[in-house]
Amino acid sequence: MTETLTSAGPAPAVTDDPADTVIAVRNLTKSYGDRQVVRDVSFEVRRQEIFGILGHNGAGKTTTVEIVQGLRRADGGEIRVLGLDPARDRDELTSSIGSQLQSSALPERLRVAEALRLFARIAGDVVDWRELAAEWELDRLERTAFGSLSGGEKQRLFLALALVQKPRLVFLDELTQGLDPTARRETWRLIERIRDHGATVVLVSHYMDEVERLCDRVGVLHEGRIAAIGTPSELVTEHGGAVQTRFTAHDADLGPTLAALAGVTDVHVDGTAYQVAGTTEAPFEVARTLDDHGLRPRDFSVLRPSLEDVFMTITGETIAATSREGAGR
Amino acid sequence: MSTLTALSVTEGKLYAREWGMLVFAFAFPPLMMVILAGVFAGEGFDEVWGATGGTDYYIASYLGIPLASVALTGLPVMLASYRELGILRRFEVSGVKATTVVTAQALVGLATVALGAVLVLAVAAPVYGVPAIEDPLGVLVVLALGSGAMLTLGVALGLALRTSRAANAIGMLLFLPMFILGGGGPPAGVMTSAMSNVADLMPLTHITEGLRQAWLFGDLQATELLWLAGWWAVALALVALVARTRRSFQ
Repeated sequence: MTETLTSAGPAPAVTDDPADTVIAVRNLTKSYGDRQVVRDVSFEVRRQEIFGILGHNGAGKTTTVEIVQGLRRADGGEIRVLGLDPARDRDELTSSIGSQLQSSALPERLRVAEALRLFARIAGDVVDWRELAAEWELDRLERTAFGSLSGGEKQRLFLALALVQKPRLVFLDELTQGLDPTARRETWRLIERIRDHGATVVLVSHYMDEVERLCDRVGVLHEGRIAAIGTPSELVTEHGGAVQTRFTAHDADLGPTLAALAGVTDVHVDGTAYQVAGTTEAPFEVARTLDDHGLRPRDFSVLRPSLEDVFMTITGETIAATSREGAGR
Repeated sequence: MSTLTALSVTEGKLYAREWGMLVFAFAFPPLMMVILAGVFAGEGFDEVWGATGGTDYYIASYLGIPLASVALTGLPVMLASYRELGILRRFEVSGVKATTVVTAQALVGLATVALGAVLVLAVAAPVYGVPAIEDPLGVLVVLALGSGAMLTLGVALGLALRTSRAANAIGMLLFLPMFILGGGGPPAGVMTSAMSNVADLMPLTHITEGLRQAWLFGDLQATELLWLAGWWAVALALVALVARTRRSFQ
């Protein structure tokens, strides 16, 4: 079921049991000076899922995940990561967390093999860096300096570095930003491999297609608040609006028949072009009706709302609500 | 191998790939020493130079010049670029504290300074001959205190300045006057009293003066050590201030 937390009501109690809940955040707040960037944010991340945090630039995504990793202090709220308090137990958590930060790099002249060897050593040599290099197809780049790597190769290296301590939880912040489509899809494949290795992944992104493709569940952050949480499918069903069915039909007046079908909410006819809006059941009903009339339009198409539509709806609603609140004061 | 050792080894390799820094640490001091010691070879033993010749004056002084070039033109740029590019944060998420990275860079700086000083001697020996060291322990004490003061100053600059460009510009702005007035340029005896007073405020002046006194005369002055200890304290306070202002080194 889709959980919507647009109000600042009490969130579920956070437990210290790390069995299934890997991250539990309750009523998190953070300000920089007078600017409140994270407002009463609550969410949970479950074991071995890819959890997406989606939002515009400046929505509070990076701040949230940096606080969860213990890299920044929260102003308020309660956080448990693998049963630990990241602010208090950061050193203990480090060995269980792999991380790729949005704004971080390596020295330009550091070679791939040197980076892998160094970070593996820092992590206590729990993995063989040469095996890691081979697994992530970095072995042919071992002598290449970081500054000479392509965008996709850099991200592959960051992913490998995030895994040198065999983490149970991996944070990936805007991993595919600036990559070309081919490199992005290659990176997606690698992210799924991390999860397949048994780790839980928190993926921060503002790319809708990426989140929809990869994430088991998604939290939409807007203006520092969690606007909605759910699986991509749940969010689309809840917030995505009507499914559109389109086709062309000659020599038939189907409007009234289609409008009476179960799940159909609106029928628009423009000459021979039909556009039927409705629930996810509506296209099936429309197709059956057309078949009953002996019609099989070759241009029959169904347009399902995407996560992008959900995002625009959610953030648009919130903007509208904020405007109304402001006008009401 | 500890994290600090592994990091220091890697940082050393990275430093060795930075040609601009290598030139300032290893080529510039011996080159300038050879030129100035040669230009003023016939000078000395008067009220300008004191009880020494121009050649020995510059050989002894230039032992301290790599320290200034590394501390002001190398270390701050490396550190500032690490902050600017998020490399310190990258290390931090892997459990490496910023203080460990800073310490590793300072250790590499120290090794570079030692190598630079050896190069000055190695170049001076066949060209002019190296004067006898009257007080080796005194020379080491000056180098140790001077290294502490200058490298800490370099760390403070690297942490305070937000970009490597700024660190490069400010570092050069500090290095060049300090180099010219602090022992790398004309002797203090030819300076006006105003310039001489400015030079007295600079840590490099007390490093080169302390080196000459200990090396050539076996007469290490406590005043030079106090100046260097004072500068070290100031540099440490600056590092603490930057850390407190930013709450961390990120």
